[in-house]
Amino acid sequence: MNINLTVKKGESFRAFYLFFIVHTIQIGAGLMGVPRVIFAEAGSDAWVSILLGGLYLHFIAWIMLLILREYENADILGIQMDLFGRFMGYVLGTVFLIYVFLILLTVIRNYIEVVQVFIFPEVPVWLMALCLLFLMVYCLLGGLRVVVGASFIFFLLTIWLSLTIYKPFTYMDMGHFLPIMEASPMEILNGARVMSYSVLGMEVLLFIYPYIDNKKNAALPVHLGLGLTTFLILLVTVVSIGYFSPYQLRETVWATLSLFKIISFSMIERFDFIAVALWMMVIIPNIVLFGWMLVHGMNRLYNAKFKPTLYGIAGAVFIAAVLIEYRMNINVLTDITSKVGFYLVFVYPLIVYIALMVRKLWRKGRSA
Amino acid sequence: MDTKVPLSKDTYIEELKKKFNQSPDLICKEIQLKQQTLVIHFVNYQVKKDLVERDLLHPLTGARRSWSVEDLKNKIPLASSESVQSLEDITNKLIHGSVSVYIEGVPDVVLFALPNLEQRALNRAETESLVFGPQISFTESLVTNLNVIRWRLDTDDLVMEKIIIGERIPSEARLIYLKSLANDENVNTMRQRLRDLVVDQVEDTSVLSQFIEDSSSTVFPQLITTELPDRFCLSLTKGRVGVVLDKSPTVLVGPMSLFDFFESTEDLYMRWNMGTFIRMLRFFAMILSIMLTPMYVAALTYHYEIIPASLLISLGQSRATVPFPPVIEALLLEMLIEFLREAGARLPTKVGQTMGIVGGIVLGQAAVKAGFTSNILIIVIALSALASFTAPSYLMGSAIRVIRFPMILLAGAWGLIGIMFALSFLVIHLLKQESLGRPYLAPIYPLDLKDFNDFLYRTTFQRNSRRPDFLMPKDKERFNDQKANQKNDVRET
Repeated sequence: MNINLTVKKGESFRAFYLFFIVHTIQIGAGLMGVPRVIFAEAGSDAWVSILLGGLYLHFIAWIMLLILREYENADILGIQMDLFGRFMGYVLGTVFLIYVFLILLTVIRNYIEVVQVFIFPEVPVWLMALCLLFLMVYCLLGGLRVVVGASFIFFLLTIWLSLTIYKPFTYMDMGHFLPIMEASPMEILNGARVMSYSVLGMEVLLFIYPYIDNKKNAALPVHLGLGLTTFLILLVTVVSIGYFSPYQLRETVWATLSLFKIISFSMIERFDFIAVALWMMVIIPNIVLFGWMLVHGMNRLYNAKFKPTLYGIAGAVFIAAVLIEYRMNINVLTDITSKVGFYLVFVYPLIVYIALMVRKLWRKGRSA
Repeated sequence: MDTKVPLSKDTYIEELKKKFNQSPDLICKEIQLKQQTLVIHFVNYQVKKDLVERDLLHPLTGARRSWSVEDLKNKIPLASSESVQSLEDITNKLIHGSVSVYIEGVPDVVLFALPNLEQRALNRAETESLVFGPQISFTESLVTNLNVIRWRLDTDDLVMEKIIIGERIPSEARLIYLKSLANDENVNTMRQRLRDLVVDQVEDTSVLSQFIEDSSSTVFPQLITTELPDRFCLSLTKGRVGVVLDKSPTVLVGPMSLFDFFESTEDLYMRWNMGTFIRMLRFFAMILSIMLTPMYVAALTYHYEIIPASLLISLGQSRATVPFPPVIEALLLEMLIEFLREAGARLPTKVGQTMGIVGGIVLGQAAVKAGFTSNILIIVIALSALASFTAPSYLMGSAIRVIRFPMILLAGAWGLIGIMFALSFLVIHLLKQESLGRPYLAPIYPLDLKDFNDFLYRTTFQRNSRRPDFLMPKDKERFNDQKANQKNDVRET
């Protein structure tokens, strides 16, 4: 396997789109339930946790870019090979792919569950999974251009949803935030940690970086994208804490979606139905980008052919999504995924960076 | 392969007759001069007979001399004359309206082109009619169309490349573009596709466009076929590449973005604010046309909660007697509208209008009275049908109408989830499309904010001084916008 990738002219895209890629892959299944999760850890000081977590996001993105810039045109799979050797490279790469597979699975399963709870209690899992995977396969067959385009267009088609939050915003009770800094520092840090499932996905940067046209301008869109993600999570959580009573919020699994319930227009009485259906468009960039990472990673690591891998992965996700119902709880799987993701995305890059620096110093020492 | 012209007069006449399958329309006239015999051939209805008599037969018989090939070419007052040696060439030329003159004993036959082309006059545009602006439309004759294009774009910049399409029945096509504007890649792509096309015949440009389009499986047209010379020429001056085909009343232009199909040249002829308003109206109509009926079906089948209480009552009342589920009800009415449209298109104009009124009003009223459909659905369906007809491109309007049917079915099957699935599929589908290898969703994706002006809306002409980036023209500036904004007229004080 080559450490650096050669990218054909038509395959690359402008750094500008990184904003949408990084943002849309983060926002997805996690945002639907994030207020409750953080609230459970940090209480009414959840916003502090989110701010801290957001800062850490930027720090990790900075580290990621530092790592990637050490190489000419490499992704994380190549860098691992180079740093830790062939065997460890394969092991770590496989761990990465398994993690991406898991997160793809949980995104699909979580959305199906939401649809079952909010719209169709009876809708079979296999049908929804089939629909979503069909869209994924159809999109991926168009190549990276269509994948990036999907993330961009679906962002435009859904971002207006965040404007509807003004309605619950007006019903907020500021008393819910008092007293400030009630939570202990440990609780706040825990709150920041459990936020991780909602912001997983920024590792796409480590995969997609070689395909960026103007790599010098990559930092700004990435940080802006992360900033928007943090802002949206903060907004949703703050409004949820203000809108729901603490007891209610502990019981509301998908607080974000429940916020939509009170929104109504002159032609539409219950907006939450539309919002949940529209959430499919929020989910698709997730599925598509994670799917691309998987297929692309399989190709990089094992030289797997594009189409058979794509169909194989879609089939595997489909079977797993249907089987989970009987064998395993979705929440357990989500917890496992978010734990693996936490270490892989928010801790592991630090190790890579330190290893990179140590090797650099060592080489310098040797040559001097 | 080629048969030489026989030197004996009788064999020559016999051979030509054979070539023409003994056709009674091949006129053969022998002229006996003092020293030589001339044989003149032409196809009865393919030549202008009065010209043949005045400019050819008259000088030939009137002269008291003998004719040589050179004499024929130089002394006869006709613009196009040539000499050929093979019978196949002669046959071919005769079919296309030439007159052949054979001097007995000479292997060269001189041909004069006097074609009598039956063609209609330049008419008003029918399918893409404009309220105001230029009214003429292209005709079936290539020569006339080229004439019109030359007249509109009278610059030496205009390139017209000749390409023959079709093996069995060849038609002449012209690849037309402005040399100093059109992007070379676009021109090459179009030229390559036309040249690589191996078919026996191409009936029309709309057939040609289906042959050379990027994707055949989609319902969306990727190249515009238009009958308006002004639209064609406007496209060329933006840097696009056009194709004109003989025997076809429409011309082909590319590359096109999805948003070009909602543009009418009328937007330019109106003031910019009106133009923008109407363009926006069309986009809105398209979204409405796709979404309205499926939303009705989805809401009434599964999610009646999303309908406000006040509306729900009247909806419930009007639907109370309807025995079908909403999806059947909607499909029935959509079919009715499609039948009306198709019948209106097929019937003669006078009958068609009457039928439309009878069908629309009587059937609609009766359907409601009989309890087949609800009043509100009639409004919904009529609105979305009307909206789909606002597309300036008939092909795009049809595409929009076709999309509705699977969407209604999906809405009937899975409600809002079905609609969202269909919309997501549609977006991804559009993302995958290309026109001459250029992205179909430009300027939205890839995003080019500068191109929004012109594709999505219009501003004043003074501000619109750039050609779209999407077409990558060689010269992006149309004029200096700073100078265009200066006004040096006298101000009254």
